[in-house]
Amino acid sequence: MSLREPAWRVTARELESSLEEEKGEGERPATYLLSPFAARMNRVLLAGSLSPAESIGRDEAQAFWRARLSDPTGAVAVTAGSFQPRAMAQLRSASAPRPAIVVGKLHLFRGRDGVGYVSVRAEAVRSVAEAEERAALADIVRQTLDRLDLLERVEKEPGLSEETLRAEGIPAAWLRAAKESRSRYPNVDRAAFRRELGNAVRRVAGESGPSRATLPTPPTVTVTRAPPPRPPSPAPSAAERAEESLFLDQLDEVADVSADGYADLKEVLSRVSAHGLVEEKAETILNRLEEDGVIEEPIVGKLRRA
Amino acid sequence: MTAESAPSTPIETRLRDLRPTSSPVEFVARVVTCERRDVTRKSDGSRRPLLSGLLSDGTATVRFTWWDPPREGVERGVVLRAVGAEVREFRGRPEVTFSWKTRVGPASPAELPRVDADEVPFRTVEELRPAEEGFRIELRVVRISAKSVTVGTERRVVHEGLVADRTGAIALSAWSDFGLKAGEAVRVAGGYVRGFRGRPQLVLDERSIVVRVEGNDLPDPAQLLAAPPRSIAEVEDAGGGEAVAVEGVVVGLLPPSGLVFRCPTCQRSVRSGICRVHGQVDGQSDLRARIVLDDGTGALTVNANRADTEKLWGVTLEEAQARLRHQPDPSLLEEQLLEALLGRRLRVRGVGTNDEFGVTLAPESIERVDIDLDAAAEELSARIGDRR
Repeated sequence: MSLREPAWRVTARELESSLEEEKGEGERPATYLLSPFAARMNRVLLAGSLSPAESIGRDEAQAFWRARLSDPTGAVAVTAGSFQPRAMAQLRSASAPRPAIVVGKLHLFRGRDGVGYVSVRAEAVRSVAEAEERAALADIVRQTLDRLDLLERVEKEPGLSEETLRAEGIPAAWLRAAKESRSRYPNVDRAAFRRELGNAVRRVAGESGPSRATLPTPPTVTVTRAPPPRPPSPAPSAAERAEESLFLDQLDEVADVSADGYADLKEVLSRVSAHGLVEEKAETILNRLEEDGVIEEPIVGKLRRA
Repeated sequence: MTAESAPSTPIETRLRDLRPTSSPVEFVARVVTCERRDVTRKSDGSRRPLLSGLLSDGTATVRFTWWDPPREGVERGVVLRAVGAEVREFRGRPEVTFSWKTRVGPASPAELPRVDADEVPFRTVEELRPAEEGFRIELRVVRISAKSVTVGTERRVVHEGLVADRTGAIALSAWSDFGLKAGEAVRVAGGYVRGFRGRPQLVLDERSIVVRVEGNDLPDPAQLLAAPPRSIAEVEDAGGGEAVAVEGVVVGLLPPSGLVFRCPTCQRSVRSGICRVHGQVDGQSDLRARIVLDDGTGALTVNANRADTEKLWGVTLEEAQARLRHQPDPSLLEEQLLEALLGRRLRVRGVGTNDEFGVTLAPESIERVDIDLDAAAEELSARIGDRR
């Protein structure tokens, strides 16, 4: 029996803090994102201000849109593609930020630097009246507090049984999530997170939080989470330019002889190191070239000119 | 061996008293279910007919296997007398086998053993499992109504309802009129339990005995029907329930929702003008919403009928049909319905049944719930504050 995954009520801040994944069991296992605050989520329900969407699809036939949902605690990317036609239509329909409710499945992307980016693949999106957004937020904060309370209890009584909790109406899945959170995120400051929910409560009370007033609509969805923003890199020196061109030359040579037109990253690295470029330096150059959009890595370990 | 301890003809046994023995038994029982099939012999590949199913005499139900049964005359409801049947044990329960040595013939229902209501054990609703019988139980009638149904070729009246004790509630289906009224407390003997849509159901027939009792420790029906909502995870764990109340948010719709067409004969929904049972039909239009309700702990499906859908959507069937004339794409209607429902908080009461997709709720009432935002904000801020 594969039951429908419940939509966990979470804030954007909780998603921003979630970095651990777990594969479920069964024939077509679901993937769960584990948060530090006792959620083991496949599907979520969020409420907040949804920015207008921008198209990020490369291929016209396979449209893909992305918007940003900000609540008083943080922000998260919301995407929809041609497999979610209704959600996509909803994302595209707005030209200004509006209060909205989003139900969707979570997606954790891990970049090459190991940093995870959580986004929500929307299943259903609806613009709502402000009161409805506040009501949904109240539900979200209440359940988040319930989970935080459960975490505290588990900490105090590690032997807490499913039966005891079930009698109080707390599902077994929550206990499991709480135990998993504790073991995966042993050093998270849960009290600080609890205090951060205060912003959300003020929003429930009707005070327009800072999110709506001050957050401009970003021209593109920017990632707002770790790693900390790097200081703007100084213009490359002549020596660096030389290293870059060495890297690109080697890349072109490798790509020319490869069967699929891609240059194998390892091979390029070994060639440039033969020319006296240490691997660490080569990685830096690679990152810079990728950032500047000179080369891209569509498949992990495979490079090509953009 | 003396003549007394080994009588030449076995005495009639009640099914409840069956024990696996080497000596054949005689009993009278009614066929509850039966299924005919062929078994292929491994030695020569020849086929041998076999009839198997369940027999009941009011004291217990046992499985039976009948080798080389008569071609016809044995069907559900028929009472049989079996002489010289073998008793075996399978998975800890007795089973009977009819072979060439067994004489099986028709018998009259009057020959079934008289079940003495005073000697069968008491049960509670919680303890009832499908195929259970030969028990007594004290119940409160929560609700009851008569309904006319077609059984085979015959019209019969069945009294359907809900009964409960302190341990739970169970659906009731009485095929005989016991004059039951909502609110009454009764002691019932001679009923049996069957599984119906994944839920147990208490069935009473003309052999059942119903006595009115005081029932001081039975629950109040009003209280039962107004129980506070439970978490959906709990309802999922219990596999539904007879009087389920939940509160959650609409997170989606399942197809078919919106404007649907139904077979005029059987009310099944019609696809491409074809009814699954009655073939090509002129479908009658109807409104429905298969709502996915989610409370953060679990999700279930609520099957809203036309009246509920009209109330929740604010669009009547006629208006929906008018819209369809302007925008001849029914999926647009479904989208507009979703648009109207998504994120709405609903409190739903009804009967929850269970299948491989989870719990489905047939609603008796659907109410919109509005959160008092000021009170919520106050409560939540207190919860955050008291731990600083």
